[in-house]
Amino acid sequence: MSDLVVKTVEELKAAPEEYREAVAKLVISHAVNELYGAQVFDEPAIAYAPTPYAKWLTCRVAMEEYGHHVRFKQLGVQMGIPEQRMVPGAGKKPLSIFEFPLKTWEEFVAIKLLADLAEILQVEDLLHCTFHPLRNLARATMPEERFHAQFGEDFSAELVKTPDGKARLQAAVNEYWPYLPKFFGGSKSRNNEIFRKWKIKQRTNDEMREDFVKRATEVAAKYGLTLPEVRLAA
Amino acid sequence: MSAQDARGPEEFERHWSGALPAMIPLLETLRIEVRSASWFAALGEPLSDGDRVDATDYSGAAEVQRVASWAEAEAFLKLTTTLDWWNREEALRKELLAQAEARYPERALWTALTELTTDAGDLVHGKAATAAARMGGAAPASIHVAAGAAAQAVYQLAVARAAGASASPFESKFRLFAAGRWPLGVAGSRLVLF
Repeated sequence: MSDLVVKTVEELKAAPEEYREAVAKLVISHAVNELYGAQVFDEPAIAYAPTPYAKWLTCRVAMEEYGHHVRFKQLGVQMGIPEQRMVPGAGKKPLSIFEFPLKTWEEFVAIKLLADLAEILQVEDLLHCTFHPLRNLARATMPEERFHAQFGEDFSAELVKTPDGKARLQAAVNEYWPYLPKFFGGSKSRNNEIFRKWKIKQRTNDEMREDFVKRATEVAAKYGLTLPEVRLAA
Repeated sequence: MSAQDARGPEEFERHWSGALPAMIPLLETLRIEVRSASWFAALGEPLSDGDRVDATDYSGAAEVQRVASWAEAEAFLKLTTTLDWWNREEALRKELLAQAEARYPERALWTALTELTTDAGDLVHGKAATAAARMGGAAPASIHVAAGAAAQAVYQLAVARAAGASASPFESKFRLFAAGRWPLGVAGSRLVLF
């Protein structure tokens, strides 16, 4: 394991190539996926929100997700990454969940409840990153990610008040849950090995996935929801 | 904001070319207006003549109803029966966005709007939190709702101006926010103003 700590983007220029490439991969991945999420789920959800209160709350969530993309992209630009590598359609394959356009409000609530919990775990793993500009960005992003997951909990609590609402939310959970454990990558990921070698990330993909399933099961149970069985390893 | 972009690098570059500099004066003016606005400073205060004029310009409503507390505002916003005005605004926004996209390259327009709205969102969020702390009685989520409403108003105005629509209702909507008010929506013939 390395003791390298990179405090600024300027210092990154002197870091080993493997370290620089690893950090760039993470920044690109976050920039692309935050943008995909905002475009595929958050912005379309505004139309499905049932009241002006829910619509403006969803507007705020969408703007924050776009904002995360902007912040990761700005860091990437400072690092010398071309902008076109940090937007969808530039060769980076999106997560499979983004291939299923949003159809209902309940789907959005399920995504906020569970997919944003997955996002929280990803950001948590960067809170002690040895590349401090990325660590600081993770720390700035975390309160907003927590708010988005809380949004999922608050509207889940509303929906499960009626049998019909609960059934629709459970159906949405059943549809989206199978895609979520794959967020954490393969069990034998070479990238993850490099991230941990340089202490850019802290945990293995399997450790994160296991933690996610545990926390997701707990949060779903709070609202009387169950998670369907899925094969966990990606 | 726009749909996904699946263009290759060359087309991506062409899509960008020269558009941001052309948009800078337009956006700089709006940025200054956003920074100098009195976001949420007059919530619950008695209505002035200026508020009434802007409210009428914005909504065309025959009456203006003031709400005086966050609790009243939240109750109104949680009604499911008051979405006609929202749908009208959304239809207008889409129409203006199409006009704006005809004037500017899509990616450059999208980037400029996203960055403006992101900056504005952070600013108005703090202002909404300050107003909520000063007045008391706001649910924590309502600060996010207020910030969403205000940032949406900035976005709508930016789209309108990028479309060259100088007399859109989004101008008077923004003026209400800039004067410290929050237009909550239209119910029947009433505009409800916080």
